[in-house]
Amino acid sequence: MFDFIVSYYNYWVFIGLMMVGFYAMMAKRNLIKKIIGMNIFQSAIIFFYISTSVKKGGVTVPILEHGHAAHAADGLEHGAHAVDIMQYANPLPHVLMLTAIVVMVATLGVALAVAIMIYRRYNTLEEDEIIKLLRRG
Amino acid sequence: MKILSVIAGVLVGAALIYGALDMPKWGDPHSPASSHVSPYYLRHSIEHTATPNVVTSVLADYRGYDTLGETTVVFTAGIACILLLRKGRKRQGKRHV
Amino acid sequence: MILPFDLILVLFVFICAIAAITVRDLLSAVVILGAYSFFMCLLWTQMAAVDVAFTEASVSAGIGTVLCIGAVSKTRRRSRD
Repeated sequence: MFDFIVSYYNYWVFIGLMMVGFYAMMAKRNLIKKIIGMNIFQSAIIFFYISTSVKKGGVTVPILEHGHAAHAADGLEHGAHAVDIMQYANPLPHVLMLTAIVVMVATLGVALAVAIMIYRRYNTLEEDEIIKLLRRG
Repeated sequence: MKILSVIAGVLVGAALIYGALDMPKWGDPHSPASSHVSPYYLRHSIEHTATPNVVTSVLADYRGYDTLGETTVVFTAGIACILLLRKGRKRQGKRHV
Repeated sequence: MILPFDLILVLFVFICAIAAITVRDLLSAVVILGAYSFFMCLLWTQMAAVDVAFTEASVSAGIGTVLCIGAVSKTRRRSRD
């Protein structure tokens, strides 16, 4: 049982963080709190993708060892230098999540700008007060 | 409302746990994610792009148009923020509550 | 990948996430969110994703926190939940 929990632990972390963010997006009434919940939600998804790139057992960062030296020594024989794939982590999820982080901050900026606009117009950030003001006309 | 959102969160968590049971284990070197496309990048990064850092070579060389699209997204977000937050003339018919 | 260190980092990440959505002071919540991003960044360094880690540390924990503090300073600091 303990072995089972440990060998799948990245999924438990991901699911827990996602539930925290989801709960904050639905149950909190303050708009800034909702945006914080959205940030936690997106971080959880990025965590999930990064954790699929891990390989166990002496895996280093995906920067090829002696890359420049091998390239210079090989000269014309490019590709003669074999790369041990099991030594490096999977680089593809890193690239995709690098894009996702930047998009996450762009989303955060637009969401905060909209929240500031709502505050300027209704002079409050609480969702129920805004709905009350809207109903009153 | 609070009870409803707790129930919805727990339901989503249960569905995700049910889905996670079929996923490969943590750190499995032969998982489908690390055995199909990424070995190609690791093997040919040096000869194609002469860059030892595989992440940079994929980001800037193999997927350069992807990065261009990302830059477009950031540009659009900046334009949207400027348009929302500028202190311009008050429009007619703006409601003050 | 040292498992006890990973577990301690995960514990901190969870504490920061739950604290960020329960604190009533919005400025504290935003600063705790920055701490959450930094712990996430340490976790990714543990997972050998250094490029993602320093992008997160500069973009999400740096610029994101600055944006949030700007928004909180333009609106109200107290929240009801």
